[in-house]
Amino acid sequence: MGVEPDRLHFSWISSAESTKFVEVVTEITEKVKALGPNTHYVKKEAKVA
Amino acid sequence: MIAYTDKVRQIARRLLEDCSVEMVIGFRKGSQPMMNEPCFIKKAEDADQLVWDGNCGINLANYLTGRKEKIAVFAKGCDSRNIVTHIVENKVQRDRLVIIGVPCTGMIDKRLVASQTEGEIEAVSETGDKVVVKLKDGGSTEFDRRQVLQGNCALCVHRNPVIYDELVADLVEEQTDVDHWADIREIEAMDVEKRRRFFEDLLAPCIRCYACRNACPLCYCPTCFVDESRPQWLGKGQDQIDVHTFHFLRAFHCAGRCTDCGACQRACPVGINMRLLTKKLEKDCFELYQWEAGMALDQRPALDTYKPDDPEGFIK
Amino acid sequence: MKVINIDQKKWTKGIDTLGSSYKLIGPVAEKDFHTFEILQQGQLPDMSFTNTRLSPKEVVFPQSEDMFVYSLDQNDEDCNILKEAPKDYSPRVVLGIRPCDARAMRLVKLNFDTEQYKDPYWLRLYEATTFVGLACDQPCATCFCTSTGCGPYHEEGLDILLAKDGDGFKAKVLTDKGRQLAEASGWTDTADDGGAFENARRAAEAGITSKVATDRLRQMDTLELYGADFWEDVSFACINCGTCTYLCPTCWCFDIQDEVHGKKGKRMRNWDSCMFPIFTVHTTGHNPRGTKLHRVRQRFMHKLKYFVDKYDQGIMCVGCGRCVQQCPVNIDIRRVCDLMNSYGSENACAAQG
Ligand code: SF4
Ligand code: SF4
Ligand code: SF4
Ligand code: SF4
Ligand code: SF4
Repeated sequence: MGVEPDRLHFSWISSAESTKFVEVVTEITEKVKALGPNTHYVKKEAKVA
Repeated sequence: MIAYTDKVRQIARRLLEDCSVEMVIGFRKGSQPMMNEPCFIKKAEDADQLVWDGNCGINLANYLTGRKEKIAVFAKGCDSRNIVTHIVENKVQRDRLVIIGVPCTGMIDKRLVASQTEGEIEAVSETGDKVVVKLKDGGSTEFDRRQVLQGNCALCVHRNPVIYDELVADLVEEQTDVDHWADIREIEAMDVEKRRRFFEDLLAPCIRCYACRNACPLCYCPTCFVDESRPQWLGKGQDQIDVHTFHFLRAFHCAGRCTDCGACQRACPVGINMRLLTKKLEKDCFELYQWEAGMALDQRPALDTYKPDDPEGFIK
Repeated sequence: MKVINIDQKKWTKGIDTLGSSYKLIGPVAEKDFHTFEILQQGQLPDMSFTNTRLSPKEVVFPQSEDMFVYSLDQNDEDCNILKEAPKDYSPRVVLGIRPCDARAMRLVKLNFDTEQYKDPYWLRLYEATTFVGLACDQPCATCFCTSTGCGPYHEEGLDILLAKDGDGFKAKVLTDKGRQLAEASGWTDTADDGGAFENARRAAEAGITSKVATDRLRQMDTLELYGADFWEDVSFACINCGTCTYLCPTCWCFDIQDEVHGKKGKRMRNWDSCMFPIFTVHTTGHNPRGTKLHRVRQRFMHKLKYFVDKYDQGIMCVGCGRCVQQCPVNIDIRRVCDLMNSYGSENACAAQG
């Protein structure tokens, strides 16, 4: 549907895997930052006539 | 398929006469060329109203839910799969239904015929492999039936009903030489930007009449998420984001359930092929889980079971 | 009769000139059908259409329309004040509206312009608009306008009526607004047409073969019609979509919605349809029109009975045939109208002896 694949991540982290959690979150943050702010599918104001 | 009409009437009459059912759901001739109207018959003597031809594209499974009568229903391949889905989802009970299977050779795409015809159409008839269009000005055109089928019917690989109590005719040969996913692969091959523009164009004419949703047998929720106001999930105006949200979310709600019957596309007054959305999910379900919706009563749908070997490549 | 001759050159030039003083709206081909759209500079309306898939009601009654805007920001001096949304009411012209759609505007006006209530949004847009009609010489099989008090050359609601004449047009100016537009566009070449316009009108009217009878609707007892036995059969196929009412030039229902984004909000109205289950849901959850039989009956009773009784201006349908063509399950208002109009007639005859 035209959303950049890097914006969406799935992961399975157990509550004991704190290091993995940090790694994954860091990685996602970096990837999304690289993409910049999302400009699609963001509704600022309804478009009406 | 013309010969089906006699058989359809005969079966309906018998079922009503011997009180096997209280009502029969089928089609009667419409007031427009290439249009039949879903109808119910309760009296044996009315059975002659019923017809069957290439204009029965509306999915009759849509008319079964929320009824108390014991019903007989005519079912094409796709209809029968939607009936299976209804039974699996506990929307209808198998023992309250008599399913009369209609082996199908595809439904005519009325918009396609109209767009390929010069002048106003007065009547359309079928003879064997031909579709004959009679024009108002006296002329006529002929089409090869296969050239004017609905997009989904042209690529259909389950034309025979998967569940039935009796049949109106012998089973037909299934198509094996079709490339069922060609249109989806084309979209998958687009880059993100191009795909976004593709969907913008696809959905731009949408007026949110919800004919697609309402023609779909899967969309039986008492209150659809687009109508829900507490909480309100999306705006009701013509904002593109709201329109897209409706379409994408509806498609996800049909994932693993859609039979590609084409009723949604057929119903759209502005000719949008929103089936492309559901079909992508149909393809994913098939490739990831070897799942095809509504093929058997004893299988749980792909998205409602867990198997240890389910693919999880998307999880990092 | 005196008519204005507009040949192709004058047509193109006139449209070009009008562009500087009016916003132009006209039929545009889109994939396999036509819609009314705002024309860009230099773009000509495509006058070869039969009729547009959607009615031009959107011109004065947009599907989504802003009514108010407001701010919820305490630092804003207008905080919590509903302000009228800024809108463009500059002069506009609709080129090529069909006579049925123009009459539909008049029927809608009965509802939006009454003694007690005047709908400011609809009325201002209506008044800002000049309607240049295009007579129908080739009606479709689904057109039944002559049965609804309208017709392919009907003039009601139009400021100018055009009829095709070779690759140009003949024009009949009907109102002051029309006169102003004709002057502004330089369409002033008046001549006597020797009755050609009238003849074309008669030929077009004779070309409409689809007819419905509406003569008994008014005298019919409302409750008897409401309780008629045909509604289950009529409504069975209906899937309760908005197609018929959204495409219809005479359907006027709307729903008011607030949308808030951050600290700014707006109140808008969107088309609504009596065919939608939530149309009448009360806040208690009760729905007085809980089944599709109720809803289908409402649509036809409104158009063919309540409206007839309330305004005495005929039925609330101009016979454009859009709903007949586009209803996905072929529910045909002509059939329903006949059922309603003839309801109980056998008994009535018997009663009269
Ligand atoms: S989404 Fe469309 S194709 Fe799929 S089952 Fe529903 S109506 Fe049929
Ligand atoms: S039927 Fe067509 S116009 Fe109506 S909501 Fe669906 S896609 Fe939009
Ligand atoms: S009810 Fe149907 S035929 Fe009548 S004006 Fe509306 S869309 Fe046209
Ligand atoms: S109540 Fe229904 S038929 Fe009447 S104007 Fe509203 S939408 Fe149209
Ligand atoms: S009458 Fe036809 S177009 Fe109207 S709501 Fe019913 S199915 Fe949709």
